[in-house]
Amino acid sequence: MALVSLFAALIAVFGLIPKIDLPLGVPITLQTLGVMLAGCLLGPKRALQALMLFLAAVAIGLPLLSGGRGGVGVFFSPASGYLIGWPVGAWVTGMVMHLLPHATPRGAAISAFLASAVGGLLVVHVFGVVGLVNIANLSWEQAIMGTLVFVPGDLIKCVLCATVVHTVARGLPDWRLGG
Amino acid sequence: MGSLYSDHPTWLHGVPAGVKLAVLALLGTGVFYTHALAVLLASTACCVLIFASLGRATLRAKPLLMGLVLASVLIGLFHLYMQQPWVGAVSVLRLLCTALMGMALTLTTRYTDLLRVLEWLLAPLRVLGVQPERLSMQVALMLRFTEHFFVVWRRLDDAHRLRTGKAGGFKILAPLTLHMLMAARRVADTLHVRYRR
Repeated sequence: MALVSLFAALIAVFGLIPKIDLPLGVPITLQTLGVMLAGCLLGPKRALQALMLFLAAVAIGLPLLSGGRGGVGVFFSPASGYLIGWPVGAWVTGMVMHLLPHATPRGAAISAFLASAVGGLLVVHVFGVVGLVNIANLSWEQAIMGTLVFVPGDLIKCVLCATVVHTVARGLPDWRLGG
Repeated sequence: MGSLYSDHPTWLHGVPAGVKLAVLALLGTGVFYTHALAVLLASTACCVLIFASLGRATLRAKPLLMGLVLASVLIGLFHLYMQQPWVGAVSVLRLLCTALMGMALTLTTRYTDLLRVLEWLLAPLRVLGVQPERLSMQVALMLRFTEHFFVVWRRLDDAHRLRTGKAGGFKILAPLTLHMLMAARRVADTLHVRYRR
């Protein structure tokens, strides 16, 4: 229970940290990195719980999303598909991490990159595209083109996730990665 | 960590949280099933009137409102550019309807009241092993540690600036995560000793 709550808190802190601008001018907010890290560090079940708790806190009006957004209204916005995709993405990330080898720090980092690319990137973007199609009434092609803009930034987050998992595997060798 | 709730009293504050949530759920479902522009226009007009009737309470939602207006304009312009003005109008009206009512709910309902409704909604899941009464404690723990981790992040950032003269950026993510995991272990041990859970 503590781990779930504290990880939800970490995702909230990622929303408070100002966005970081990449050299090409692409802004990166860190909350999707939280989705990837939750899956890799907590495993599927607890990652799902952490993200559900975080979204429940957002739904009851706490301004925890980046930019101080919160409340039920955000679940009706064009980006709501991405939000709804977070718990599922975290669960898939955890599942993939659990199945891949992570006995050594290097192996854990490679597995974390793959797991976050599948769960935190692919799954979340699939939900995002479905949201854009249904709420903004875009065609599938338009929604896919729109979401592709964010893929380079998310790939960088996958690398960051792998780096953090590598550090955790070295710093806390008894931590059970992938749950 | 303050919520978006407004203390400025309005008529909507007196309506029970469960009723407001049920109306929002019905409205949200309704506007997504209809394509009739007249119905959507009438619904949006009602939602705008309800939101405007909250008066000064809506001031807290100004940044959210700006975001909503921007999203609506972008969606509208995009569909105009694609020569689908009718689709654009339907999308924007749906968005305005649901988002305005969502904001009205958030502004006029204490988060503790919404938590109680959530716990009530989750109660049937008790047979599956879900313990709804834990939700309040988990939200409280989360809020307590959000502030704590933010302070930790600023300390790490300051330390990095002192050493290198630059902001920490991505470099302090790993130490921040390690701090969090170690704190989680300590809190879990404390909770286990105190509450046996």
